[in-house]
Amino acid sequence: MNINKIFLYLLVITTFSSCQKVIKINLNGSSPKFVIIGNVTDEPGPYTIKITKSVNFDQDNVFPGVDNAVVYITDQTLNITDTLSEISSGNYQTHFLSGVSGHTYHLYITSDNNVFTSSSIMPTRVPLDSIYTQKSLFGSGTDVVPIYKDPVGVGNQYHIILKIKDSISSVAVYIHDDALQDGNLVSEALMNSIDIHSGDSVMVELQCIDENVFQYYTDLSATIQQNSAAPSNPQSNITGGALGYFSAHTSYRKSIIAQ
Amino acid sequence: MISLFYSPIICLGQVKHTISGIIKDKKTGETLIGATVRIDEKKIGTATNEYGFYSLSVDSGSYTLGINYIGYVEELRTISLLKDLTINVSLVAGGKQLTEVTISSKKKDDNITNSQMGMNTLDIKAINALPVLFGEKDVLKIVQMLPGVKSAGDGNSGFFVRGGGADQNLILLDEAVVYNPSHLLGFFSVFNSDAIKNLTLYKGNEPAQFGGRLSSVMDIKMNDGNDQSYHASGGIGLISSRLNLEGPIVKDKGSFLISARRTYADAFLALSNDPSTRKTQLYFYDLNAKFNYKISDKDRIYLSGYYGKDVLGLGGKFGINWGNATGTFRWNHLFNPKLFSNTSLIYSNYHYNIDINSGGIDASVLSVIRDWNFKEELKYYISPTNALSFGFNSVYHIITPGQFSGNVAPPDVAKVNSWENAIYASDSWKPTDKLSFDIGIRLSSFSVLGGANNYYNLDENHNIIDTNHYANGKIVETFINPEPRLSGNYQLNKSSSIKAAYGRNAQYLHLLSNSTTSNPTDKWVSTNNIIKPELADQFSLGYFRNFKDNTYEVSAESYYKTMQNEVDYKDNAQVLSNTPVETQLLFGQGRAYGLELLARKNEGRFTGWVSYTLSKTQLQINGINNNNWYNARQDRTHDLSVVGMYKLSKKWTVSADFVYYTGNAVTYPSGKYQVDNQVVFYYTERNAYREPAYHRLDLGATLKLKDHKRFTSEVSFSLYNAYGHENPYSITFQEDPNDANKTQAVQTALFKWVPSISYNFKF
Repeated sequence: MNINKIFLYLLVITTFSSCQKVIKINLNGSSPKFVIIGNVTDEPGPYTIKITKSVNFDQDNVFPGVDNAVVYITDQTLNITDTLSEISSGNYQTHFLSGVSGHTYHLYITSDNNVFTSSSIMPTRVPLDSIYTQKSLFGSGTDVVPIYKDPVGVGNQYHIILKIKDSISSVAVYIHDDALQDGNLVSEALMNSIDIHSGDSVMVELQCIDENVFQYYTDLSATIQQNSAAPSNPQSNITGGALGYFSAHTSYRKSIIAQ
Repeated sequence: MISLFYSPIICLGQVKHTISGIIKDKKTGETLIGATVRIDEKKIGTATNEYGFYSLSVDSGSYTLGINYIGYVEELRTISLLKDLTINVSLVAGGKQLTEVTISSKKKDDNITNSQMGMNTLDIKAINALPVLFGEKDVLKIVQMLPGVKSAGDGNSGFFVRGGGADQNLILLDEAVVYNPSHLLGFFSVFNSDAIKNLTLYKGNEPAQFGGRLSSVMDIKMNDGNDQSYHASGGIGLISSRLNLEGPIVKDKGSFLISARRTYADAFLALSNDPSTRKTQLYFYDLNAKFNYKISDKDRIYLSGYYGKDVLGLGGKFGINWGNATGTFRWNHLFNPKLFSNTSLIYSNYHYNIDINSGGIDASVLSVIRDWNFKEELKYYISPTNALSFGFNSVYHIITPGQFSGNVAPPDVAKVNSWENAIYASDSWKPTDKLSFDIGIRLSSFSVLGGANNYYNLDENHNIIDTNHYANGKIVETFINPEPRLSGNYQLNKSSSIKAAYGRNAQYLHLLSNSTTSNPTDKWVSTNNIIKPELADQFSLGYFRNFKDNTYEVSAESYYKTMQNEVDYKDNAQVLSNTPVETQLLFGQGRAYGLELLARKNEGRFTGWVSYTLSKTQLQINGINNNNWYNARQDRTHDLSVVGMYKLSKKWTVSADFVYYTGNAVTYPSGKYQVDNQVVFYYTERNAYREPAYHRLDLGATLKLKDHKRFTSEVSFSLYNAYGHENPYSITFQEDPNDANKTQAVQTALFKWVPSISYNFKF
């Protein structure tokens, strides 16, 4: 529930006549930053580490891949290291690593004298019970409601992905934790701006993520919504000054056909 | 120290007698604030205080007493002064000014003769003719057109004074603090102009009786109510209506005033095509009430209160309501003709409550800030050239950050109690005809108290290293700050003067926001072991000049202000979550300086003013922008307001205002990157960009309808934002919906034109 959005909605209906338009703003350039996105899951590999660089606002959304980096992922619980291979520009893949709940994964990257490291612990898997769709609480859209049972014991954190017709991903960041609803049956609506019609396939993926990744997504959500008191970059769990995250997480998917 | 200063003057006094009394409006019985009482033979004079009381001491003799107030017929009384005299005078409104608009209620050349600087006074009657938004007159909107005062923008409730934040303004309604001065997310202020007598704004160099905020004091006085006869007035507008009743309790002895407002903006929502908009609730109401009664010639009591509430609801699934409640009990007592006392017991309360009923959650959270305040003020009129004020003030603050109930109820966030005290003394002294001083000292203290709340110790990365608890009511830490205040006026000639002032202010309560815009859910936090008292030292210098028998006035004031323990947010700060806010904040220093120019025409068929401010406000906080100085969000280079009212005929008055100001300093991205197939913006620097400049023209016209005996009425038309410029409420960045390869900036403006019409009556 984002209260700032609700206030804006109310302001807009108060004035009956709010107006949006595209404007031209001259934004400064910035030197390209490394962006690392890495996921290790409890589904069978290979897993991918994607390394790209940021671009300036007025450039096209083409993010150059970083080639010839050295990338390792170590399963610190088993003490085995997988050296990833670059399969396409900026995309590095594992060979034999297999994600297991409870194991700690360590990422090591070097590129042009830059060193980036991170580690992430894969939490215990929580399954999705079911999903359903309902008319949206706000506006005229459709909400998707996943239902899962949070295990007893505070400390579970979730990241949820919503995908419609196997291709359209919701841009909102859905995260839950069990601080207020430990051990409950959770059924929080995923509000979205996708036009969902009956007959469309609806896929929900429930990820159990570790605390640092949860913090990353919390910040990312605020960054994307662009209304926090101090707009800033999400706090990455990768050291060395890169943007992005490295997450070892579980994955449980379920699909239905929208009514 | 102060008594040493004055003892010679007291000792040298010959056989003197004191004339004192109350100056009122004859028709309404309202006391007049700032009316002048003078003795021409002695070339001395004084002005009435906020209760209409004056006191003048002179040698025995026969004199002519002249009593004056702008817009009223001068009253002359011949007196022979052989003993102390009480002379209460009721002035008759009228004279040539009746057909004119008067802006200032103060005595005509008060700006030249008074040593107070950085001060503006507004008489509510004066703003009647100005254009309005949604048909409601609003004193807060007018104040934002004065030099050095800046609007926070459309849809934002706050205002900024001399570079200070919105929480650095002390807003008082009959002495009670109003924590959130806005209704309906900033479109209306909580001050119903029917109930307001007068507003005085001090821009950082306030007298020593005020304290607790860094940047300004806005002192608003409610009307007392007519003690002569019963009257009703009101207005009907497109989205709001008002009714005001007043009259005597006992004629000449006591009166009452009740003023109420209700908006019905949601009536229009029922016409919407969208079913969820139809189910939206959106309204506010407020109520002002005041009673006063003269118990004896020496004692008068006042009871005044305000209650207001805003309600917003989305189809029963989400609701929020918020509001202020204040109450003031005052007792004026005259110990002797020279010693005036006011004792006040004051209550202030601000709360918001959020209800959620969806997705299996049925819960609510309540947040409250509540004050109990006791205040004693004494004013000793030593001689016509010397008056001493002294007193004390003790406030108990109770902050309830979040109290949860319902089926999802996390543990409550513990209450925070604190105790704020101050003693002060201040003297207005006029050693020569040309020179006057206000010298004051305020000693303020703030004690944070133990209780259920946690006190944290943080490491250098703002992580909690340990948590302490203290017994209920135990003083955990006390902060003491001496706040010297000094201002002087040198009158160059009859129509011009220069003034200089220095003042230190301390602030112990701070407002945090989770958004770049202001919301009712912004959070008040108390000073504690980590959040230190904010301090400001302000120096100012000004030149004041009047022309043509005070019809025109011009002034130039400049200020330089340094601030300590200023608060800003850490990157990714979340202040509304249950995370202790201490871990989300950074502290540093600030500086603000500027030049304020004002030219004003106070009388005649045409009245109005032009005000311009050139200013800079910066912060330096370790952890933000590589520890360099950066612009505060409210930094505004240019700020221009032009206000004009013209009396066309006996029936028609037209008015217009224009504002232009530099956009806020804001944080925009300087790049972009991709996360999980989505474009995310990359930020490099806090507040390094500017919103586009804001500008707006408003037009208004008032048509006076035919009078029927006592019944008078008028129709007001206004057009807010006349040329339809879309000023940004927010600017966001997004992927171009038409070209997935591009990104774009999108501006949301709240409105283009807002026409309104309202009907006002009085009998």
